Amino acid sequence: MGDTTIDKPAPSIGFWQQSWRRFRRRKLSMCALGFIICLSTVAIFSPMIAGTKPIICKYKGHIYFPCMGYYNRNWENPVFQKDRFRRIYPRNLKRKDPDSWAIWPLVYQDPYRPVRDNEWEGMKGNPYGAEGRPSGKNWFGTYKTGFDIFASMVHGTRIALLVGFVSTGIAAFIGIFIGAVAGYVGGKTDIILSRIIEVVMCIPSLVLILTLLAVIERPTIWHMMVVLGLTGWTSMARLTRGEFLKLRETEFVAAARSLGAGRMRIMFRHILPNALAPILVPIAFGIASAILIEAGLSLLGFGAPPPNPSWGTVLNSGKETLQSGYWWQLVFPGIAIFLTVLAYNLIGEGIQESTDPRLADPKS
Amino acid sequence: MIHYVVRRVFIGLLTLLLITFVIYALIRHIPGSPLDADPSMMDPSKMPSKADVDRMLTVYGLDKPWYEAYVHWLKNTVQLDFGNSFSQKKPVADLIGARIGATLKLSITSLVLTYLLAIPLGLFSTVRSGKLDERVMSFLLYMLYSFPSFVAALFLQLLFAVKFGGSWLELPLMGDRSAHYDDLTNSQQAWDQLKHMILPVTCFTYGSLAYYCRFVKANMEEVIRQDYIRTARAKGLGPVRILVHHAFRNTLIPFVTLMGLTLPGLLSGAIILEQIFNWPGMGELFFFSIVSRDYPTIMTLTLMFSILTLLGQLLADIMYAFVDPRIRFN
Repeated sequence: MGDTTIDKPAPSIGFWQQSWRRFRRRKLSMCALGFIICLSTVAIFSPMIAGTKPIICKYKGHIYFPCMGYYNRNWENPVFQKDRFRRIYPRNLKRKDPDSWAIWPLVYQDPYRPVRDNEWEGMKGNPYGAEGRPSGKNWFGTYKTGFDIFASMVHGTRIALLVGFVSTGIAAFIGIFIGAVAGYVGGKTDIILSRIIEVVMCIPSLVLILTLLAVIERPTIWHMMVVLGLTGWTSMARLTRGEFLKLRETEFVAAARSLGAGRMRIMFRHILPNALAPILVPIAFGIASAILIEAGLSLLGFGAPPPNPSWGTVLNSGKETLQSGYWWQLVFPGIAIFLTVLAYNLIGEGIQESTDPRLADPKS
Repeated sequence: MIHYVVRRVFIGLLTLLLITFVIYALIRHIPGSPLDADPSMMDPSKMPSKADVDRMLTVYGLDKPWYEAYVHWLKNTVQLDFGNSFSQKKPVADLIGARIGATLKLSITSLVLTYLLAIPLGLFSTVRSGKLDERVMSFLLYMLYSFPSFVAALFLQLLFAVKFGGSWLELPLMGDRSAHYDDLTNSQQAWDQLKHMILPVTCFTYGSLAYYCRFVKANMEEVIRQDYIRTARAKGLGPVRILVHHAFRNTLIPFVTLMGLTLPGLLSGAIILEQIFNWPGMGELFFFSIVSRDYPTIMTLTLMFSILTLLGQLLADIMYAFVDPRIRFN
């Protein structure tokens, strides 16, 4: 008798797990997710894919990682500057220390300078102008100044994704906070906050962005991310406010309140997780539009200053040489921007459809 | 109803006051003044004397702190005096008047084209929903929807102005008319203008076309499942009549809201696209007024765009009540 156990019902799966199951069934959205993961990998490992600095090298008895200099100039060991490498590693490593060895990036090209003759023994420098069409050495061709476009785009991936994530992160933070306070607290606070949301919404976004960027004397890519974040939060704030207005009347909030939970705790521990699904959708679309605006601003010449490789700046140089018909300066960055925006749109749509309870499959 | 409109207008005026205040404060903090943004001023031989600079600062109202200058600006604006442009030495109203036609030419053409194409395409994809042709079309439209318009503009320029240069397919690269426009006959002038419009209008249209198609289809899918559609079908009505009279008319409500929201876009132009096509419209005017620190022009344009946005929202809400008698304002 002792071994009879009551069959426990299988635990029902949670909302997020269910949504993920439904998201996984959408082939296009999964492709898009895979594409973004690939792109993130490229972004993270960009100096190891295209660069002229060794990933690892042994030089005078020490191990160095010169490629870290691409992330931050200070992360490159100063010993190479002291020994007058002048950014040309292959020749100088062998000349100054015959016992040295190095592991090189996949493609020997640099986003910050054109490769010149004889950096490797017998290797020719980058062509420029009309000669710079795509070739085995310069996969995506070169600028009119001889900079390699493939290297610029690989390193530009870092900027594109960073702009998307950071600016949308800032926007989401502001939007969710303001929306939550307006929706939950209500009353006068709600009136004032809603007015602020409306004011920011009514100013055309490019007008506000251009003005804010002009206020900063020498805008860097980080300034741009902050400006995009400061201007892009309104739709999220409105959505969050709506969700909070709806949810604050529910039983679980009343229960939390009667247990003595504080305002902040109710807002961000109890309500927010339940309001998160609809807010995720504009976040995905927001990333897409941030990437678009960054590229557009770079195209107008308001973007990251020229040595910074960004997809928009490659496109801008293509725009300047458009009449010479250097198609490779337009086609590659254009397609890259398009595919990334498309991927984020597909992901956003996937989230929208898979988290919508009205479309839920009753069986799963 | 009147009560509601009056209240909305009042709130809208408050919003406008806030917006202009914020923008005025911002632009007065942009480094550089209209005096040093003009390159000719940099020329040492033409460098204005100290007295001249002071005189110009007074004329431009730059000698006062920004909040005082804002009140000054507000007083003038209420009397519909928008001031003179710093960089072009002309009244701002004239500048805008000279530009508005070019922008309207693009935006209205593209709006009409969008509606003319989007509604039939949307209805078509509702009817053929799930079939191969509909899925191919929806896929293509989705691609177009995600295709950035400025990338498309550059691609089209490369293709039609450069690659096809010299052939019969050639289209002009930029501008709204040719250099020898004045020498042409009337019919040639019309053809010349039309040719210059093709690429910009295409870029303006395709994105919103894709968006509107998806919008029409999404709304139709919801309506087509309703009981009254089944009733209509049971009554023996033809498919076209059901689709247009019974289904599509009931999707007009969200459609009308969308129309209200496109109102500001009609006049504001598109800064990036106009810049690429060198189109002498409002977007380009705004871009240059920021670059040259032309405060009166920036302010007037911002004011105009904001009024249009607010007006569009109000119009959408009123139209809402108009097309849907269930909605009452109180």
